Amino acid sequence: MPTLITWLLALMCAALSSASWALNYDLQPRQIAENTWVVIGTTEDFSRQNGGDIVNSAFIVTSEGVIVLDSGPSRRYGEALKQKITEITDQPILKVINSHHHPDHFFGNQAFLPAPILSLEATQRLIAERGETYAENMYRLVGDWMRGTEVVVPTQTIQPGVEEIGGHRFEWFAFSGHSGERADLVLLDHTTGVLFPFDLVFYQRAATTPDTPGLEIWLQDLERLAQMEFRQMLPGHGEVVSDLTALKQTSAYLAWLHETLQGAAAEGLSSSEVMRLPIPQAFSELAQVRQEFERSVTHLYRHYEQAVFTQ
Amino acid sequence: MCKRKSWAACWSRAGLVVALAISPLVAAQTEDSVMWDYTRKMFIGDATYSFDERIRVELPSFAEDSMQVPLGVDASGLNEPIQQMIAWADYNPIQHIFTYRPQAGVLPQVSLPFKVQQSTPVRVAVQLTSGEWRVGSGYVDAAGGGCTLPSESRMQDDWVSSLGQISAGRFSRASGDRFKLQVMHPMDSGLVANIPSFYLEELQVRRPSGEVLIQMQLSPAVSENPVITFDTATGAADVTLWLRDNDGNEFERAL
Ligand SMILES: [Zn+2]
Repeated sequence: MPTLITWLLALMCAALSSASWALNYDLQPRQIAENTWVVIGTTEDFSRQNGGDIVNSAFIVTSEGVIVLDSGPSRRYGEALKQKITEITDQPILKVINSHHHPDHFFGNQAFLPAPILSLEATQRLIAERGETYAENMYRLVGDWMRGTEVVVPTQTIQPGVEEIGGHRFEWFAFSGHSGERADLVLLDHTTGVLFPFDLVFYQRAATTPDTPGLEIWLQDLERLAQMEFRQMLPGHGEVVSDLTALKQTSAYLAWLHETLQGAAAEGLSSSEVMRLPIPQAFSELAQVRQEFERSVTHLYRHYEQAVFTQ
Repeated sequence: MCKRKSWAACWSRAGLVVALAISPLVAAQTEDSVMWDYTRKMFIGDATYSFDERIRVELPSFAEDSMQVPLGVDASGLNEPIQQMIAWADYNPIQHIFTYRPQAGVLPQVSLPFKVQQSTPVRVAVQLTSGEWRVGSGYVDAAGGGCTLPSESRMQDDWVSSLGQISAGRFSRASGDRFKLQVMHPMDSGLVANIPSFYLEELQVRRPSGEVLIQMQLSPAVSENPVITFDTATGAADVTLWLRDNDGNEFERAL
């Protein structure tokens, strides 16, 4: 007959295992091209249920080592990603890339140290400036998933241009539409034809606008991206596509947002009135669209109002 | 000037956070919360009142920027002339947001941005000409964030040079004229160490004759450089906007 102590131990083990199970990221890397793996996140908002697994990450296994594209929302995510990479290849981590400064894209950095962490110069500066605030917010939003996570500012900067690494011909670009002046990295892998526009493109999820320098700038960026030759594209959020579907969807949504805010300002609507405007059918299926629209009014409407004021 | 990431941070540092044990979500829906009794007495005393859903209190579902939360109030559904409307946020360290007194010909609706310390019910008590009070409620969730995190407030360092500058627009609408204005003012709450309160406290819209069309009292809970809208029932012809802050500075311009 089991003693009280064995019962207690059994209970404790059960409690511990269920707790750690609950905080496991179930990352499923999927190969989409030669040496190229993607990990697709949900199209939800941050929550204590998803631990911030709302973002896409990827890695490219070159003959010189693995290049990790975005490290996820937490140290724990970074560790899970690293674990999956080691199950797939013996190659060491060559470098980690942070596409931009938003917290779902860089808080896994810690897990990859001492590998070099690279980003555009503007991104390095933004992470240094805002990292701590983002960390506080992330702890509040996803809770325990963040345990042990600290800000790791990118250790090196990337210069836009062509770079040959381990049999791949990469081209890096600096865009501005989603994150600010030259703060959006884009990668085109000429060897595989995979284009990584990161958060310049959202698919089946409404785009977020807290740091856009202006929707018109973002729309111009998307026009430039549409000219690039690629075989597959991995948006920052949402599924892989092999054509312009995702890019056109983001572009149509942002164009609608721009025209709506402009029209509302011309009619003299208040922010709270704008927030209640209907979302057209074409975008009503985008995940988080009502919330993101409200947020975008907060981020952007003032600039549209300024344009119609008389001094 | 408060050089900070959010009013929440400032207010917290000042140690004036209202401690609460009850769930704000529940409190928003019910009148019998501790805060409701407390704030109601603060603004309408022991007067009798009733809740009235025709008073619309429009708020975003959550405060993306806790320093700029757009609030829209519309009591036109009451179909009765009103004396005044008083708006406050139960859980703010400075609860009062504004008191609005529209005269004949002005619609009982107004919008402006305010600051929130935390998730809070927002109350609007409307006093009818009969003296009776009707109350509308709204609720704003103040947890925000994400890729999805708020943009940081872009504070101007040279606010002195723009102090009191007024931008304005006038729009014709089916019901009359919509006025929208923005006044540059730091709207300091006085709750931040070493920064005394400095805010617009009175606003009037006047006819050339001096007759007052709108009278409004603002509190330091109103956001920095606020954009305010109000509506007249008919074309209002020539009107002048006048404001005064708690340092006695006066600002004026034709609308
Ligand atoms: Zn982003």
